[in-house]
Amino acid sequence: MRRVAIMGKFLSRFSSVWFARLTAAAILLLPVTAVAAPAAEKIARIAVFPTAPYYIFIVYESLAVFWVAILGLLVIIRMKLREIERIQAMGADNEDPDAPLLE
Amino acid sequence: MNCPRLKEWLEERYDLEGMKRLAKGKLIPEHRYDLWYYTGGITLFLFILQFLTGMLMALYYVPHIDFAHKSIIEIVTKLNMGWFFRSLHHWGSQLAIVFLFIHLFGTLLLKSYRKPREFVWLTGFILLGISIFFGLSGYLLLWDERAFAAVRVATGGAGAFPVIGGFIKAFLRGSMDVTGDTLLRFYAFHVAILPILTLGLIGLHILLVQMHGMSVPLSLQAEKQREVPFFPNAFYKDLAIWLVVTGVLVTFTVFLPPEIGVKADPLAPPPENVKPEWYFLFLMETLKLFPGSILGMNGETIAIMLVAGAILFFFLIPFFDRKSARGEKSPLFTWIGVIYLLYFLTMTAVGFLS
Repeated sequence: MRRVAIMGKFLSRFSSVWFARLTAAAILLLPVTAVAAPAAEKIARIAVFPTAPYYIFIVYESLAVFWVAILGLLVIIRMKLREIERIQAMGADNEDPDAPLLE
Repeated sequence: MNCPRLKEWLEERYDLEGMKRLAKGKLIPEHRYDLWYYTGGITLFLFILQFLTGMLMALYYVPHIDFAHKSIIEIVTKLNMGWFFRSLHHWGSQLAIVFLFIHLFGTLLLKSYRKPREFVWLTGFILLGISIFFGLSGYLLLWDERAFAAVRVATGGAGAFPVIGGFIKAFLRGSMDVTGDTLLRFYAFHVAILPILTLGLIGLHILLVQMHGMSVPLSLQAEKQREVPFFPNAFYKDLAIWLVVTGVLVTFTVFLPPEIGVKADPLAPPPENVKPEWYFLFLMETLKLFPGSILGMNGETIAIMLVAGAILFFFLIPFFDRKSARGEKSPLFTWIGVIYLLYFLTMTAVGFLS
């Protein structure tokens, strides 16, 4: 009984207007929390790519350099292949069985 | 670098000159469809990349339900370039399967499977099956809720197969449901059993291709063929194509790193709109076409039986196509190939968009 009396004394400090305000605030906050939920989910998503702008820049820069290197190598391979085909067309790559050995 | 003493040392033991002559003596036919020859080389190149990136990740991955998901997060977020190698492994597997399908349908439509290359087709087809299982087993290793649900559906589907379905399901899962046993089993498949089988079959496939030489399409056999040596002509072209594929692969790796979902919870309901990997979509859409029950029989079992029959026919196609084995044109089998291809593409697109 004593505990109930203490609780009653404590609650009497808050007026009914105070309870109404609290309820209204909770109702108003509900949509806010609902909107914030996907954002919280987004935060929980695991970063599968560097997040620091400096590293992101390095990654994209490296990719660009990589493509330049690939294109350069493709040009070299094309030139080499044309050279090989030119030599083959001349028949200069065929081994001559009668060629004298220098040894 | 010129090391005459090393060359001499090797020459004494191994016939290096003979090997050189063999490489130079191997000829490749040159014609308007010869681009298809390079799809096999691209697939081989992607397989090698998969082996390398897989080995790197195996150094850090922990195949245990409590640590698997966490270890992948650590690979991606804490290890230097970990995100890159994981993404490279993911996109490498996707591209390898794309090129395997291109290689398969190219071989089918050019009738390169015809006599005497039946075993080249069979070994290649088994390699495709193994690669798909590689994809499925690798997907579960992530141990996130999507992978968990997809593997549960896939292994459950295998269970619908009559007579041996229950055994296949139990063998794949290692228990009644997808559990830690399944994870460990799929890990063993992914890093030990399948790689050994793949290496053996790739070796056999390449050996058979070397034995039989490159196949020339029937429509071009009457024409006089121009041939070029494999080394250096075809080798340099292979090299150029591999470079372009590497560039495309790295671009995908950087721009589209694969996501990591929430850790799998066997007691949680499956997430909405779970889809398997794209190469299973045609199968999923086919199963959807069938009602639950047909003439009192389980519709899923009938669907699985029909799909298994269609795949078996596809596998044994060199033995059914007698005309092309005799060196005659066989338009019926060309149409069958086109229908298979269109069905696969349409159902995959439907599954992707639905």
